[in-house]
Amino acid sequence: METVEGESFGEKYDLFVCLQCGKCTGSCPLSMRSQLNPRKLVREALLLENEAVMDKDFLWDCTTCATCRLRCPRDLQPVEVIIGMRSILIEEAKVPSTVQEALESTFKNGNPWGRAPSKREEWAAELSIKKASEGAEYLYYVGCTPAYDPRVQSVAKSLVRLFDAAGVDFAILGNEEKCCGNEIRRMGEIGLFEMLMEDNIEMFENYGVERIVTTSPHCYNVFKNEYEGLKAEVFHYTQLLCDKLDEGKLKLTKELKKKVIYQDPCFLGKQNKVFEEPRKLLSSIPGVELLEYDREKMRSVCCEGGGGRMWAEATATGERTAETRVKEAAALGAEVIAVACPFCLLTFEDAVKMTGYEGKIEVKDISELLIEAIEG
Amino acid sequence: MKIVVCVKHVPDTAEADVVITPDKKGIKKEGLAFGINEWDEYALEEAILTKEKYGGEVVAITIGGKDSEDTLRRCLAKGADRAVRVEDPALEGSDAYALAKALGAVIKKEIPDYDIIFTGTQASDDGFAQVGQTLAETLGIPHAALVTKVEIQDGKAKIHRELEGGLEEVLEIQLPAVLAVQTGINEPRYVSIMGIRKAKKKELKVLNLSDVGLSPDEVGEKGSLLKLEELYVPPVEKMAEILTGAPEETAARLASILDEKGLIPK
Amino acid sequence: MAEVFVLVEHRRGEIRDITFEMLSGCRDVAKSLDASVTAVLLGKNVDNFVEQLKSWADKILVVEDDKLENFNAEAYQKVLSHLIKERNPVLTLIGHTSFGMDLAPALAAELGIPLATDCIGFEVKDGALIAIRQMYGGKVNARFSFKKSPYMATIRSAAFKAEELGLSAEVEKVPSPLTEEVTTKRFLEYVEAVVGEVDITQAERIVAIGRGVGDYSDEKVRSMIEELANELGAVIACSRPIVDKGWLPKDRQVGTSGKTVKPKLYLALGISGAFQHVAGMSASETIVAVNKDPKAPIFTVADYGIVDDLFKVVPALTEKIREIKGGS
Repeated sequence: METVEGESFGEKYDLFVCLQCGKCTGSCPLSMRSQLNPRKLVREALLLENEAVMDKDFLWDCTTCATCRLRCPRDLQPVEVIIGMRSILIEEAKVPSTVQEALESTFKNGNPWGRAPSKREEWAAELSIKKASEGAEYLYYVGCTPAYDPRVQSVAKSLVRLFDAAGVDFAILGNEEKCCGNEIRRMGEIGLFEMLMEDNIEMFENYGVERIVTTSPHCYNVFKNEYEGLKAEVFHYTQLLCDKLDEGKLKLTKELKKKVIYQDPCFLGKQNKVFEEPRKLLSSIPGVELLEYDREKMRSVCCEGGGGRMWAEATATGERTAETRVKEAAALGAEVIAVACPFCLLTFEDAVKMTGYEGKIEVKDISELLIEAIEG
Repeated sequence: MKIVVCVKHVPDTAEADVVITPDKKGIKKEGLAFGINEWDEYALEEAILTKEKYGGEVVAITIGGKDSEDTLRRCLAKGADRAVRVEDPALEGSDAYALAKALGAVIKKEIPDYDIIFTGTQASDDGFAQVGQTLAETLGIPHAALVTKVEIQDGKAKIHRELEGGLEEVLEIQLPAVLAVQTGINEPRYVSIMGIRKAKKKELKVLNLSDVGLSPDEVGEKGSLLKLEELYVPPVEKMAEILTGAPEETAARLASILDEKGLIPK
Repeated sequence: MAEVFVLVEHRRGEIRDITFEMLSGCRDVAKSLDASVTAVLLGKNVDNFVEQLKSWADKILVVEDDKLENFNAEAYQKVLSHLIKERNPVLTLIGHTSFGMDLAPALAAELGIPLATDCIGFEVKDGALIAIRQMYGGKVNARFSFKKSPYMATIRSAAFKAEELGLSAEVEKVPSPLTEEVTTKRFLEYVEAVVGEVDITQAERIVAIGRGVGDYSDEKVRSMIEELANELGAVIACSRPIVDKGWLPKDRQVGTSGKTVKPKLYLALGISGAFQHVAGMSASETIVAVNKDPKAPIFTVADYGIVDDLFKVVPALTEKIREIKGGS
């Protein structure tokens, strides 16, 4: 197979050293329920022509959680092979219509949700927040889902109040903010990703941004690891708030007597090794009893919200991983599943409804719990 | 076959607030996302499908400023072979009639041996629904609007037109003709940014009025038959009783209204 | 005396509503222009149409020809351009329908007459006609003036009310100017949209969805809507974008290019209310709209409105209806 840039998959991803041990497939949260088989795909990338990917609808099942990459004994990147194969589908216009719409909207509107760019800052209408043009220590990069999704807007609003309470000097881009491209690259739209990256870096530089704090681990990941030439320092909000907690500027005073379990977002936890800050924030809330999943941190299980899965209907059948996780949380006696990612919030809330735990288990973003701890 | 497709770069106002400019002749464009007119996207796809089936060349044409090249580049990336953009200050204030004249002049100059011309039935901004049909008249060829299916056979096309109430009519039309297509006629394909970049090599010609043999008097306000006097916010004649509150409250209120009216089956 | 021409639109043996709307709606503008109203009827065996039209116009101009049996824009254009040249009506009105959209622009261009399409009203200022039409999907109204008279305009469906006029028209038959068959465009047949299992025109309650529901192929979205429809005993209908995406069949589409419905309850979810849709549902007894955009035109036809996210409102509404049903 050849990548869309014309390199061989074997060379680009160094696939000749693959042992075909199958650890990637074994670790894949979808392989049990879908034809998605990273080991087999790596082999096919070496042996077959590009045409061979044309009918592989299951390529859209991958959540790009990257467990396959993290477990590979030869440090190979099966997840990147899958993204490379998706790129071939994109260039051949073999795209599910929902993915097509998300990509077209991102190009036209700067967000994958089909929403007007002029409505991006509507969530902040009743808050007084500085604009990046006024200058600030931190740029709060809100992200598309927190800006437009009514459920996740609550996270953005909570963060604004927390930043204010902790005395953080921050500003937002408002309607000028554009998609970060993390999901776009993972859907295989390399050209669009590069365009977003260039536009965003230019905008950050124009506003003299030195520090960026994000709502989503996905935006955090792409800024931190994939934005070539970005000079600004990047933080996930849990990192910034944890610092403020340590400095004594964020005071968690109100009691919250709840058993809380924390779901590590793949793009914050296993992919970026931010494990402690979210846990420290949660356990610092008076009254919170912090529970742990059996499979946590590096072994945590993806919620199935990443890698473009918010826009692609999976071919996978059977119980979704988020549903499994809700049941596990229930078995451990959790009353609240705490998340730190917009996609986890959405997938877990659905999963709670699907599994019949509505009214018994709540899904909350860490920021929402922190608000309760400062405001009661 | 020589296939022409006429496209328009338009602002998306489906969700955005529309603000009328102080001179009342236009709307504020800042903050609006622009792209290919929805009907034209289907027209473009139909043009490309026609080329893929019968061979030939697709030429995409637009009248508009430099920013409308975004739309032409997408046309080229999707499969148009070349593109022509006409820009001239004299075109300002043109009505549908004047625009059709200008399009006709470009086509006669650039693709005189055309076999079929696709347009969208209407544009989402002005909603005239008349440019394609008027263009046909200026070229002296037949046309059909609201086209939902096209099959080409020996210098003719068998087409479906959408009528009201879920009815369609089937017609046979002689080529060359202008077919103004309705949305839903096909499934427009995706084109990647890489595809758009690659298509940068394709020819995109920019012409002015004299290049296409038109005088400034034939277009713009002078060459138009209709003049926009002013835009205004539509008066609200009647307004629904808006239920306010949190979703649980509005839903509860609505449910009890429906119940009182006997609209909930029991 | 000057004349206003109103083109009679008919199909398969029936005069279409737009004809009566135009005949009735143009009286004021005809008066301001000092003109009488002439219904122009083209067709084959149209005697019963003539009878129906008598009380609606001052005059009926009839052109009968076998070649005019079915609507054909090319044939109509030839006849009308002949009539307009000969009689010089100050204003010609044609429906902004599939029929009129195909016919009017080329006819106006051939005659060099200014044409305003999709008009919803008129004003006469200093003896000159001003047309009112909408732009940007109905978010803005526009006044257009005509460079010269005579004028031509196409009229939006349901923009005017058809109100019985009680006139008694004089009938004038004119020989057909068509000498030969129109060969550039030939009518072959009508085809009906495939009828599915559900007939939305017969439903008492309709839950209608539009662009605002987002991706209706998403199982979660679909089941949320279906649950509400089930509780209400309603059928699911939609606006055009949902059909264009292939998410519901064409026979579920409400609007000018789909079905006209008059249910007891019409619950519009995420439908902005473009006129093409509204024309197909405005006669419903109780209309409820849920839409995020407070400026969505749907709220001007609805009886009750909720300005909120339908993904929040719909599950809550389903729940409340369940409670009401459970309690009875």
